[in-house]
Amino acid sequence: MAVDKKRIAEILASARKQGRLGLLEHEAKQVLAAWGVPVARTELAGDAAEAVRIARELRYPVVMKIASPDIVHKSDAGGVRVGLSSELEVRQAFDEIVANARAYKPDANILGVVVQEYLPQAMEVIIGTLQDPSFGATVMFGLGGVWVEVLKDVSFRLAPLDAGDAREMIQEIKGHPVLMGVRGEPQADIGALIDILQKVGRLAHEFPGIAEMDLNPVFLFERGKGAIAIDARIILGEGAHG
Amino acid sequence: MVEDGIDAIFEPKSVMLIGASRATKNEVVLPSIFFRSLAHNMLRFFKGKIYVIDLSGRLGAGGKSPKLPKKLDLAVLVLPPNLALKHLRKLVGGRVKAVVVISGGYGREQLERLARVTVRRGIRVLGPNATPGVLNTSNGLCATIERGTMPKRGGVAVISQGEGLGAAMLDWACFHGISISKFASVGDKVDIDEADLIDYLSRDRGARVICIYMEETVRGGRKFFNAVREAAKRKPVVALSRNMAKVTVEQAPPWRGEILDAVLRQAGAVRARDFEEFFDAAIALAKQPPMQGNRVAVLSNAFGPAVLAAEALQREGLTLAKLSDETTKQIKKKYPDADGGNLICMTAAAKADCYEFVLKHVLDDPGVDGAMVINMLKSCLLEPDEVKVVADVAKKFSNKPVVDVPMGGEDYVLVSDVLKDTDIPTYSLPERGARALRALYLYGQIKKKVEM
Repeated sequence: MAVDKKRIAEILASARKQGRLGLLEHEAKQVLAAWGVPVARTELAGDAAEAVRIARELRYPVVMKIASPDIVHKSDAGGVRVGLSSELEVRQAFDEIVANARAYKPDANILGVVVQEYLPQAMEVIIGTLQDPSFGATVMFGLGGVWVEVLKDVSFRLAPLDAGDAREMIQEIKGHPVLMGVRGEPQADIGALIDILQKVGRLAHEFPGIAEMDLNPVFLFERGKGAIAIDARIILGEGAHG
Repeated sequence: MVEDGIDAIFEPKSVMLIGASRATKNEVVLPSIFFRSLAHNMLRFFKGKIYVIDLSGRLGAGGKSPKLPKKLDLAVLVLPPNLALKHLRKLVGGRVKAVVVISGGYGREQLERLARVTVRRGIRVLGPNATPGVLNTSNGLCATIERGTMPKRGGVAVISQGEGLGAAMLDWACFHGISISKFASVGDKVDIDEADLIDYLSRDRGARVICIYMEETVRGGRKFFNAVREAAKRKPVVALSRNMAKVTVEQAPPWRGEILDAVLRQAGAVRARDFEEFFDAAIALAKQPPMQGNRVAVLSNAFGPAVLAAEALQREGLTLAKLSDETTKQIKKKYPDADGGNLICMTAAAKADCYEFVLKHVLDDPGVDGAMVINMLKSCLLEPDEVKVVADVAKKFSNKPVVDVPMGGEDYVLVSDVLKDTDIPTYSLPERGARALRALYLYGQIKKKVEM
């Protein structure tokens, strides 16, 4: 996939212009897609009819999530519905999600709902970036769920990273054997993971205005089947540009 | 010698010391004690010219300030900021190439003034707050406030960010006979920073290994990263970093410590996990070649210590080497009582000839990357002097490291004294020996990576 720097700069500039430092989910995914990072296709629907049109295009079943700059934890707001397989379900989900969000946070600015393609469950990993005040862009990697939240089992590298750096940061975490296949599970697609780590690192390095990036979860399939970011968050730095 | 402004810090021919040996009414006492220690150290150890400028007029040329030459290499100051700034302007400007400001307490505005009278006029500065100071064992430069603390001369170069730890390191080095080439505390970095020192030491032939203790992160992150990476291509860099995020009371940014840790790893530093390992690894790396693989042979004249060694090696990610049938056969032929299994246990009766023969054949085995030699004196027939053969044999294998473990207390003291002037590092416990071998293995891996 070709890299579209101009598109990325536009998305970042437009958010800043609107006084937002947090990108909306579909914007974050557009940035990643423009950089060649595989992401679950996600589009913003302003009303139920548009949601249906997008769902048809993406093919059922789909996932729907609230789109609001004021709601970070979408599940807590009752703002996520999965496995929607018909026009009726999509219409109902749209109304419910918006109603739930209003109840959760009455003053929230609600832009609509994002509709996302459904992907089969896979191993979950987390890939993130941080701008360190001294070292600049760094990439973080960990396994999803308890591995990061409870065990703090993560590794870091300075960006940009070469394939060797990416491989090392994968091997460095304690949960590494899980990726190599335990209890009869197949080995994960390490090559695809290395590719995303490198791409994300390069993106953070070239756009220092991106203060934080969080691809969580990234679905990691078995060897040869790739990896894809299911959810993504991008936060811009205050005052910084680029 | 390296052609560099920093050279005047470590290799001065002439040094002026500025301070006050007695506190006047309104001053705190501590700087005067420190200044007396500095003057004492320099007069006792330094081989070049010394000019003591004692503002309280007691030390130096019969209570008077000495006549200063027009040009000098270095000025070392132990004075509160305002006095230091005043005398820097008066005495130092235009006269010296470099300044070490040991005392701290500089505010933002005072730092700026310090830079104005020194750095902007082409004078290199270490500090302020470069406590305990600077040291070079090859010319006796002992510009520190730790009285009489002069380690013996050798290949370990040390950079410290922390004042307290810096002093502890010097003390540790002196007490344990660790051979130091140079030592410097970076302090508040108005000019010279960690990266400058790493870069300088990487080109300094006297330094066989560079140790850096980090208490905080660095300002110019990428400059630091590149300096470590370039240095690691030339010689081992050992780093001990405090995990700031976890211990500081003040709110450190999330992951700050982990990021510094990752940077050190990525740049090719061997990371020590604690203070003891910091120097254990440094000594091994200064004396022994990097280990090419992770297969370690354990030779011992007692079984128990060898078992502890095997377990420790496994914990450190190393494995016990499996000897070839040929090697085992040869050992068995000459010493039928020796156990030539995975742990090579010679009997309690083993003497120098046995150690010599077995170690030679073990290191000759292509399945062995390095060796830990354990020599007990208690309950065994071995005499301390006999352990010299370990050094003699190891010398013939330039790419396989050997560490020696005379396990225990008194045995350790006796044997390490015999080996202290050889290239064989000694450790009092198998666990410490295993960690030293791990460092040699890690550096072997780093070298392979940077040479790719």
